Amino acid sequence: MSATKKTIEFDDRTVRQFIIATLLWGVVGMLAGVLIAFQLYRWQLNGKEFGGGEGLEWLTFGRLRPLHTNAAIFAFVGNMMFAGIYYSTQRLCKVRMASDLLSQIHFWGWQAIIVCAAISLPLGLTRGKEYAELIWPINVLVALIWVVFGLNFFLTLKRRNEPSLYVALWFYIATIITVAMLYIVNHLSIPTSWTHSYPIFGGVQDALVQWWYGHNAVAFFLTTPILGIMYYFMPKAAERPVYSYRLSIVHFWSLVFIYIWAGPHHLLNTALPYWLQMLGMLFSLMLWAPSWGGMLNGLLTLRGAWGKLRTDPVIKFFAAGVTFYGMATFEGPLLAIRAVNSLSHYSDWTIGHVHSGTLGWNGFMAAGMIYWLVPRLWKTELAKPAWANMHFWLGLVGILIYVAAMWVSGIMQGLMLNQVADDGGLKYQFLDTLKAIRPLMLFRAIGGTLYLFGFGMMVVNVWLSVRKKQTVNGTIEIIHDPDKVAKPGFWGAIFAEPVLFPVFAILGYCLWFLLPGIYAWFGLLLGVDMSWRTVWLFLHHKNRWVDWYERLLENWAPFSILVLFAAAAGGMVQIIPTVMMNRAKNVEDRLQTCYTPLELAGRDLYISEGCYNCHSQMIRTLAPDVLRYGDYSRLGESIYDYPFQWGSKRTGPDLAREAGRRNNTWHYQHLMDPRALSAESNMPSYHWLETKKTDMESLPQRIAVQQKLGVPFPAMSRDEILQNALEQSVGIAQDLKTNGIYVDADRQIVAVIAYLQKLGKFEELNPPEPIPGTIIPITSQP
Amino acid sequence: MSTEANQGQPNAHPSTKSEMEGPVLRPHIFDGIQEYDQRLPNWWLWTLYIAIIWTFISWIWEFQLSRPLNMATTDHQRVDTEVAAVKKQQADNMLKILNTLDDSRFWAMSQDKELIARGQMTFDTICAACHAKDMSATMPGGVKLPGLPLNDKEWQYGAKPMDIFKVVSKGSPDASKGMIAWEPQFGGVKVAEVVAYILSTHQRGDGDIAQ
Repeated sequence: MSATKKTIEFDDRTVRQFIIATLLWGVVGMLAGVLIAFQLYRWQLNGKEFGGGEGLEWLTFGRLRPLHTNAAIFAFVGNMMFAGIYYSTQRLCKVRMASDLLSQIHFWGWQAIIVCAAISLPLGLTRGKEYAELIWPINVLVALIWVVFGLNFFLTLKRRNEPSLYVALWFYIATIITVAMLYIVNHLSIPTSWTHSYPIFGGVQDALVQWWYGHNAVAFFLTTPILGIMYYFMPKAAERPVYSYRLSIVHFWSLVFIYIWAGPHHLLNTALPYWLQMLGMLFSLMLWAPSWGGMLNGLLTLRGAWGKLRTDPVIKFFAAGVTFYGMATFEGPLLAIRAVNSLSHYSDWTIGHVHSGTLGWNGFMAAGMIYWLVPRLWKTELAKPAWANMHFWLGLVGILIYVAAMWVSGIMQGLMLNQVADDGGLKYQFLDTLKAIRPLMLFRAIGGTLYLFGFGMMVVNVWLSVRKKQTVNGTIEIIHDPDKVAKPGFWGAIFAEPVLFPVFAILGYCLWFLLPGIYAWFGLLLGVDMSWRTVWLFLHHKNRWVDWYERLLENWAPFSILVLFAAAAGGMVQIIPTVMMNRAKNVEDRLQTCYTPLELAGRDLYISEGCYNCHSQMIRTLAPDVLRYGDYSRLGESIYDYPFQWGSKRTGPDLAREAGRRNNTWHYQHLMDPRALSAESNMPSYHWLETKKTDMESLPQRIAVQQKLGVPFPAMSRDEILQNALEQSVGIAQDLKTNGIYVDADRQIVAVIAYLQKLGKFEELNPPEPIPGTIIPITSQP
Repeated sequence: MSTEANQGQPNAHPSTKSEMEGPVLRPHIFDGIQEYDQRLPNWWLWTLYIAIIWTFISWIWEFQLSRPLNMATTDHQRVDTEVAAVKKQQADNMLKILNTLDDSRFWAMSQDKELIARGQMTFDTICAACHAKDMSATMPGGVKLPGLPLNDKEWQYGAKPMDIFKVVSKGSPDASKGMIAWEPQFGGVKVAEVVAYILSTHQRGDGDIAQ
């Protein structure tokens, strides 16, 4: 066959749709963020102040915070990422997206998911796991749409007219594969109704799976796709070559491999087994250089183009975005050090850290990309270039105010909580520390408002630029020569020394981590031997290595398989032993007392109201925690918690041992009007718990599912369950009555009080005995 | 590293020396994007190497040496020791305070303006939750708070200042309900301040609290 010439028109319509969606959802997500930031300072903004009685349930912090995080991550960054991926993939592959139909299903499906989320979360429909709150029918939809996206993308790769894969595509591949893996595993649930389900993991297993997911949502949803976008748009805008190809290779593979292991750094000093904490900390430290590799390749690409920084808002946003990426990825490993984490965890420092990433890195990269794309997609010029500059400065000042306020707040609160009084006890009550950081909460809200205002200027600017303008789709002329398309072997790309040596090295190290006692040394030996072979191959047969990699880049399928392997290794080592060895060995000396039906109903309400957004249930192995909240939490004490509620932030105090500390009257009054009992508390009033009835009817089904998951609820008939719940609630209502409080026993507040009075109840296990019905433990590290 | 399929082009097989001399531009162009193939900065490489070496050293130390050989302190042991030390210091402190405290000393303290101001601050933020700021243990509107009223003349656990001090420090004698012990959180001094503040709202010789 001979070469033929043909012109290809790219599908830029989908790109334009995703850009408009990015702008729209960006405003929604940030508006929610600004609102809840102000609510922390002034809780009455939950509706009380604009005629919502004592506050509207669907406007309270606990329900809106998940809406904010989900909107920022999946709606704003999600749409932005899709716009960038659709635009650049077609050009880097010199081919139109494989299927316009799939592209449109992807776009509209994703928007449908966002709308469902925006409705369900304020209604209190949630799974109770951070960034994984959406209820199970929406989870199914997300998974399906993600598969559509992946199918469309990989078919495009398959049909490409460009033999080799550019580095941006490597990052897109890693994103699609790893997000699918993380999302599916962390969303495995058993439904109890159309809107409710229990995750299949509980207690420490759920904690580990959740933060394997949560941490890597940051890694593979907020980082890798944006790095890919950086690799495409940055050299385009700067009109300079990328700084270093080999840096791309080294930092891509090390990032994809190492990131996954770092999840446990969200659980430092908790009941999580020590070896997992160490893995989380050490891999976070090793992650520092790979992250900075991306920053270097971005910033050094600007060498020779720094002049544009003064005139071109696109370059300004990119340069600042990449700088924030570098700052956040330096801060991350620092916060992952156990000693630093003992101060920073549960405080605003973490919140500041994640916002320097999302506002600085994601938000600014999005702005740079949009300012670059809009004139090209609508065949126009930016209507107000000066506004883009203004947007930049407003955004920058906004982030700096926000992040600085959170540093001060986090460090100050951490120090105050650890402050020792003259007699060795604690100097400050929790409420004292909350009062101290209150002004900083206002500063954070102001910083966020500035940022949102800047973003709004971009939205208006884009609208002014594109209205009444003609859309334009990119085209490319390619010479199609079927004879020239080389198809290097699939197996040859995988079974090559540069793959096998590192794979066996990693296998050796995994055995080293996992095997007990003397056997661990054999794993180490294998790892070191194979590492040495890898280095030797690299030093002495560099060309073989280089040729193999060039060949791999022309093979999207083996490339993707290797990415999957690199990304899966860490999770397998951490999660599989924890799930297998399971409870029997993991309870330490205490076993949680099983909930009663009413307490379970109360717990589900606690989750539904999003209490976990402000209250942890995990007393760390730190003296100030123990002095303040009681004995440190044992693994066995949350073993029946589906989902786990260890929490990640303490805007209020820890509740792990709340049971019996205060009486029912206190809890009733505190839920109705927190400030009546804790002056200057910023907790909203939960008065609707007193008027709404507890959903008792669904309890038998919920208990049946929990039994299936291995929670030892006694065998009870439907009537017995309802009777049991009724009796307990009547008991609480009568107790309240003796103190002059008249509340019907079927109200939600009674169930929540029942749950709060259960927190921290356990049975002593001495010596630990295996629990019937659990898997036999396998031997593992200490 | 820059060798690849496009043989014969300049820079296709650069020697190490020529690599050192200047950036090598890779021949392949992706949609107008070119790539240099520069050496990795040494400081960057060493950041990576040191972190990896550190991981090896710490893992071997933690799990191959110190723990198996029982040289390590576990988190549980550490926190137990720390908390025990604090508890002991508090107990010693308490003993010291108890040795100097007596009922008449408390009445003297209740006249010390600065001292009772500190006591009031603690009372208003913590104790008021159950006893109300005015010590009536009722909310405006008449709803009863969990605590006992402290503005009357009835003292369920003893009316002497030292009795009150004991209840606040150690909690109510009936552990299943009533007040928790505040000494672990406050320490003895703060407890004494709070008691002095409560006394300051009463008169010595006023009914039950006469002694």
